Amino acid sequence: MFDWFKRRGKEEASYETNEEWVEALSQPVDEQAVDQLRKKLIQGLKPALHKYVDRELDQFVEDVAQDALLKVLDNIDSFRGDSKLITWAMKIAVREGLTELRRKKYDDSSIEDFKYPDDEGRNELTSLTFATDLPEPDEATHEQLVLKKVLNIINNDLTDKQRLAIKSLMIEGHSVSVVAEQMDTNRNALYKLVHDARLKIKNQLEVEGIDPDELFNTM
Amino acid sequence: MKITKDFIKNIIRAASHSHPNEIGCDDCFEELHEFAEMELEGKSPEEAMPLVKDHLERCGDCREEYEALLEALKAVQN
Repeated sequence: MFDWFKRRGKEEASYETNEEWVEALSQPVDEQAVDQLRKKLIQGLKPALHKYVDRELDQFVEDVAQDALLKVLDNIDSFRGDSKLITWAMKIAVREGLTELRRKKYDDSSIEDFKYPDDEGRNELTSLTFATDLPEPDEATHEQLVLKKVLNIINNDLTDKQRLAIKSLMIEGHSVSVVAEQMDTNRNALYKLVHDARLKIKNQLEVEGIDPDELFNTM
Repeated sequence: MKITKDFIKNIIRAASHSHPNEIGCDDCFEELHEFAEMELEGKSPEEAMPLVKDHLERCGDCREEYEALLEALKAVQN
């Protein structure tokens, strides 16, 4: 009889519904549920991240799954049930993995522009202005004049932070996550900063009687 | 720092496609699991959640995460 209970205790529990998952992952946490979720996350993360990881994929994915599990457990109360729980948990794990990979990629590269050895270096960067080789107005074509106008808007109407963000994202092609980290902000705030800059450029062009859509199509 | 005509064109394109009610990365992330699940179920998430779709077109990091999420979910489904 006792053996039957022991065997039954070792049987793999099954979590089909969101309610079952949420209950199992809430305090007191059911270790079998955590283990099953961890396996699922690893199963999904491997094919999703393999193209970004050149070595030790298994170890990397296990570490990511472990970190993601902690976030899932910490935030289980915020799960709204608007998808399967595994979809929500996988979303957290994928972001965890890609954020870590972006950070590593940044650490491995030498992006001198982003290194702020002291306040002097930071000031130099944030006060940047953009310049071009465009000719003076008397010898420039209409297109060149318009380009210069856009450049003037960027230099005169945007803030230093907006210019730095545009430079890092649109010229140097760094990822939003990396630029956000380097600018001591977060992705959402950085997106908002650039969004405001885009709108400012658009509005200013319109004030000057230039339709940005038309302008783009004619260039 | 010198910049090119192509860069200014990119700025003009980005500016011309901007609109005041765009959502940011946080709001996109809040909806991403639902968006991905609808996609995998063959529904039309871009119609149900056009602002998420719009953000994914603009934001490289969010788009990368969405594509990886789809890949991961397909692997778990199989």
